[in-house]
Amino acid sequence: MSKTHVSRRTMLKGLGTVTIGLPLLEEMMVLTVAAAEKTVPVRAFNVFFGLGIPAPLQAEGFKDVLQPLESLSDKLLIMRNVDQVRCDEKGINAHYDGAAGAFTAEPPDGEAKSGGPSIDQVIRQAHYPKGLPAGMVPTLIGGTFFRRSRVGRYVHSYNMDGTVAATIQEKPRDLFDRVFGFISVAGGTDARRRRLKRSVLDSVVDQYKFYTGKNSPLGASSKARVAEHLDRIREFEQRAFAMKHKAPNAPKLPPRSDIAHGGKADPGGMGIDITLDELSSEWRLMADLYALAIQMDRVRFGSLTFLAAGERIRLSGDYKYDGKSLWQFDDARQQNASGDKGCSHEWWHKFNEKRKNEALRAHGHMKMREIAYFLHRLDDSESKEANGKTILENSLITISTESGDGRHNNVKRELSGVFHAITSANGRFKTGQIMDVGAEGLDVYNTMLTAMGATDRLGPAKRKMQAVDAIRA
Amino acid sequence: MRATTCEAECQSTRSRRQNRYSFCVATFAIGLLLLPIASSQAASPRVSRDLRALYTFEAGRGDTVKDRSGVRPQLDLKIEKPAAVKWQDGSLVVRSSTRIQSSGPAKKIIDAAKRWGSVTIEAWVKPQSDSQEGPARIVSLSAGPSDRNFTLGQDKKRYDVRLRTTSTSRNGNPSTAAANNSARAVLTHVVFTRDAAGNAKIYINGRQQISKRVAGRLSNWGDSFRLLLANEASGDRQWLGTFYLVAVYKRALSVSEVAQNFKAGAKAAATPIKLAADESSPKARLFETKIAPLLARRCLECHDSSSKKGGLDLSRKTAALAGGETGKAIVPGKASASLLWEAVESGEMPEDGKELSAQEKLLVRQWIDAGATWTVNVIDPAVYAHDGGTGNTWIQRLTVPEYIETVRSAVGIDIEKDARKILPPELRADGFSNTAYNLNVDLKHVEAYARLAEIIVSRMDVLKFAAKFSKSRKLSTDDTMRDFVAAMGRWLLRGPLDDREVTNYSGIATTVASAGGNYKEAVSLLIEAMLQSPRFIYRVENQRGDGTAWPVGEYELASRMSYILWGAPPDESLMRAADNGELLDRSRVEAQVARMLRDPRAIERSAQFIAEWLDLDRLSNMKPNRKRFPKWNDSLAADMRAETLAFFKDVAWKQKRPLADLFNAQVTYATPRLAEHYGLKPKGDGLSRYDLSAVPARGGLLTQGSVLTIGGDDGSMVTRGLFVLHGVLRGTVKAPPAGLDTTPVPSKPGLSQRRIAEMRIDNVACGACHSKFEPLAFGLERFDGLGGYSEKDEHGNTLREDGQILVPGTAEAVKYKTSAELMNLLAGSDRVRETMTWKVTQFAVGRPLTASDARIVGKIHQAAQKGGGTYSSLITAIVMSDLVQMTRTETEQLEIKR
Repeated sequence: MSKTHVSRRTMLKGLGTVTIGLPLLEEMMVLTVAAAEKTVPVRAFNVFFGLGIPAPLQAEGFKDVLQPLESLSDKLLIMRNVDQVRCDEKGINAHYDGAAGAFTAEPPDGEAKSGGPSIDQVIRQAHYPKGLPAGMVPTLIGGTFFRRSRVGRYVHSYNMDGTVAATIQEKPRDLFDRVFGFISVAGGTDARRRRLKRSVLDSVVDQYKFYTGKNSPLGASSKARVAEHLDRIREFEQRAFAMKHKAPNAPKLPPRSDIAHGGKADPGGMGIDITLDELSSEWRLMADLYALAIQMDRVRFGSLTFLAAGERIRLSGDYKYDGKSLWQFDDARQQNASGDKGCSHEWWHKFNEKRKNEALRAHGHMKMREIAYFLHRLDDSESKEANGKTILENSLITISTESGDGRHNNVKRELSGVFHAITSANGRFKTGQIMDVGAEGLDVYNTMLTAMGATDRLGPAKRKMQAVDAIRA
Repeated sequence: MRATTCEAECQSTRSRRQNRYSFCVATFAIGLLLLPIASSQAASPRVSRDLRALYTFEAGRGDTVKDRSGVRPQLDLKIEKPAAVKWQDGSLVVRSSTRIQSSGPAKKIIDAAKRWGSVTIEAWVKPQSDSQEGPARIVSLSAGPSDRNFTLGQDKKRYDVRLRTTSTSRNGNPSTAAANNSARAVLTHVVFTRDAAGNAKIYINGRQQISKRVAGRLSNWGDSFRLLLANEASGDRQWLGTFYLVAVYKRALSVSEVAQNFKAGAKAAATPIKLAADESSPKARLFETKIAPLLARRCLECHDSSSKKGGLDLSRKTAALAGGETGKAIVPGKASASLLWEAVESGEMPEDGKELSAQEKLLVRQWIDAGATWTVNVIDPAVYAHDGGTGNTWIQRLTVPEYIETVRSAVGIDIEKDARKILPPELRADGFSNTAYNLNVDLKHVEAYARLAEIIVSRMDVLKFAAKFSKSRKLSTDDTMRDFVAAMGRWLLRGPLDDREVTNYSGIATTVASAGGNYKEAVSLLIEAMLQSPRFIYRVENQRGDGTAWPVGEYELASRMSYILWGAPPDESLMRAADNGELLDRSRVEAQVARMLRDPRAIERSAQFIAEWLDLDRLSNMKPNRKRFPKWNDSLAADMRAETLAFFKDVAWKQKRPLADLFNAQVTYATPRLAEHYGLKPKGDGLSRYDLSAVPARGGLLTQGSVLTIGGDDGSMVTRGLFVLHGVLRGTVKAPPAGLDTTPVPSKPGLSQRRIAEMRIDNVACGACHSKFEPLAFGLERFDGLGGYSEKDEHGNTLREDGQILVPGTAEAVKYKTSAELMNLLAGSDRVRETMTWKVTQFAVGRPLTASDARIVGKIHQAAQKGGGTYSSLITAIVMSDLVQMTRTETEQLEIKR
């Protein structure tokens, strides 16, 4: 691993000894401290990992693939047997349909739309109907992923109308910029020039306000889109004009990412070569920054993706855990294939309960290690809040994935085997157990919404909800 | 005229004297002006489509005249002095001066007229005398004696209509008058119509009497006017007489529709009339919106024309009603006797899918019991592929290429390099990157728009640009600044600004003035503001209405046309046409389209379509196996992209051939590098044209590297076949199939990809679907993953090029022997031509097409084929269609939840 993790304490001290640094603004720091001293805010995030875990391996508990989550087991409720019946249609694609369905409970509606909102966004709407406090990022979506033929493979926060809740930040530097970036306005410190620029922005804001107001000529969907734009302008306004005192000794931006992004990251579904070190370094930097954004109360809702649904990478490198060498990743050579056929994805297709499935297990274990890395970031001493609990304990963090059963020969099994885990959300849900829930996903998700104080529901409006009280504390 | 009024009198009393009615008609109407009037008059329906307000005066008492149109909001009229009127047998007699008026502005009439540019005012009335003048106000939408939107009045012996347009006065003058003696103290049917092109007509008792032009638009109608009967708002233009019926429509009724309403009589429509949206029969709606999609999704996989399990084809009406091997599947009117109902009710069908829900079953039963109405020739599953919210009306943000072209056209600055660097790239959704629902915004966009606006202005000669709109250089908003803002805004924001906008932008000039700034600084900041405003970044349109399709405004249409044709804003000519109301005239719109197609931007826009449809950007990201394809590099990828675009421009623009010819045109363009890759003899330095008539294996899009690389290193038959199925034949197939390991099987000696594909097709679990698409790629087997041609693969297996093509919706596959034959089959296929129509239309309107668009797209296709099936004919048909000329409106503002 080529980096040291970024902690809040390090940042607040303004030390430049770490690999990355932040040109923090004093206002951001003040906000953070103030927030930390008050009540615990409502937060909801989804953490997604691609390709999932076959149900038989989940049944092994923390013995093998899930081992890295064991240290967090007291703070997680791992749910088995949650049936995504809404995605349970013939011909459904377990990768992107299953992925979009986890914690949204609806398969996609169009290539870049979910069939409904994600849980984090319903909760956001319930608790912050008029928007989050000024300067906060309303929804933060980030991820380290490569397969991108459909948005549902890697975005896991959806608006009430099913559109993506925010643009995904796929480079650590972009995520950093999205959360902590300072926008310089032409004119710099020239007060007169700034005043004039301000009047331009005021004029623009007024125009957007008109199109979101009662006399707007726009229909509902269009109006919502313009309102979203207006929200972003407000953020822009805040950063460009309200925050202007740069913290002394502010370090530089995170380094540029060296791995492939954008279209280059997905050469026609053929997969890319990547080392474990490259993958982990990129992800952990992303995870650190995301965790830091939460710790500093810059974000309360969103999602973070570690590898896309149906991900295609050819991973190589020595995989160690707890000082022990567990596996030597070398997908292409081990499968004696190139292109898509040499990707780790194929281990899932080759899954067979009667065999060892060593490569798949190693990949799954590695994914859990990386997910645990992020969760630990929210559970350390710097994540303690006013009530004495950590952010991990106080927030609703859902951990989701896709099918996980690469055999693709039993839809029912496939979509009932999707891995689900949640945190306690400040005592609202049981933790410390692996529970066979045996309920439909919609009922589980809506029970969670009830517990979180949201009145909107996922799924068909007329559907009668069956509360799944077993998961509630 | 005597006969006319006599006829009208007959109608007024027909309910009481039915037995005498035909006698009257026979006596007075023969050989005269009237349309045939049958004895069934009272039962004749009135025209209900596009009605805005209707008053039928049947209350019998009280001080309110109810709006019976059924169009919300209700626009009831209050009788100011009830003692001045008398309710009398379905009519209202106004005996002395009073006002009968709406409590507030007649917004639903005004909004519609402003949008549609047309109106019909209809009245069944009986004047008290033929000496009333003023004109005496019969029906008026006005605020006073000299301030009106319209007035139907009586000026002694004739009816007179004043209509405010941008070419007439605020008082609606010059008016349109009917002939002398048209107004007499007898029951009379008076109709005034005025269409969007300015043609005004007055009909008396069903016959057109006057036709003249009333030029201008209705966009200047006052928003605050009330609807009045029997007087002016000021109360000093009384009309006395009897009202039987008053109606206002948002469009000009046709001659036959006026005749229909006349035939319906003065006492028709005593019951509320349904909205236009409900016009089609409920049975047809049930079929089109519920049953056809249900059959498409749940039944046709096994019961379409090709699969036809059990001999049952549920995709076609005749075949479906004929039934299958076990008997009648559908017995119209009797679900209990229908095998289809029996099968779904018991859960026997769908055979290997989830049982229909109780609601779905109920729909099937209701449909069969109601007669199994079937309104389409073939149920095409592709039509129902998008049935969710993707077809909603989403505002369209300018895509990155559109933004660049808009800046270039609007202010003459090339911002491409900066915009591509600063703006986040667009993501593809449903095949295109201009899909409106996916054009969302992030902080990065806002930051980029602000930064780009600064860059653009810094590169402009601001004073020279400003001089186009104003000679003055004064900063004062009391003086010329407001006019300047309005003029510059009209250009930059693609349409006139209203007062609110002018005031808002002018505020910037005021701030600059108060800060001691100068004119140049003010203009610079004004431009910056406008470049970031919603009307610049988005294509803002009025989407409010009554839930039905309304015509788009002139400037909205101008923008739709320019972005569809050019991906750029309207030019001065188009803006002038909008200013002059010329875009309300279809022939002028068509002339504009023809002009615009001659602009090079039309070619570039069409090339964008090709690049999106074939996902040519994919080429620059490809990383084929180095060992296997050592010669692959970015330059070769760029050559492939250039080949396809040059080929398209040659076929579609230079040769003006039908779009379907893209599949078998025996020509291509290649660099020496690409020519060598293809095994052609290289020539020239850059991109050269190659005649392929002597190269039978190549010719057409599917034989170009840009498309062949879709299949990956191994030239996957699955991927290539699916591309042809989805992208060329608009077919559907469910993916992935259950019960199958989708790991690609590699070739080996004795086992070619063709053989592997045949094994999949022979497999019971896979064959049903794979037979629909893999044979489509058989003809491409000799092309390797990068489009190189050979007759043996790396293992020495002989590669074939014969196969068969099953066109979606047809029963039998057609065999082909060679790749060239496959290309000819595709080029000659109606389905391929249809696909081109659907794809280009989707790109043009920026959203996936849904079942509700199918009829219009069908008309577009017919018109385009009639015009030769060329790109130009297709784009013209799209622009002239209701998909572009009309917009789907929404009624109520919903709470915004994001």
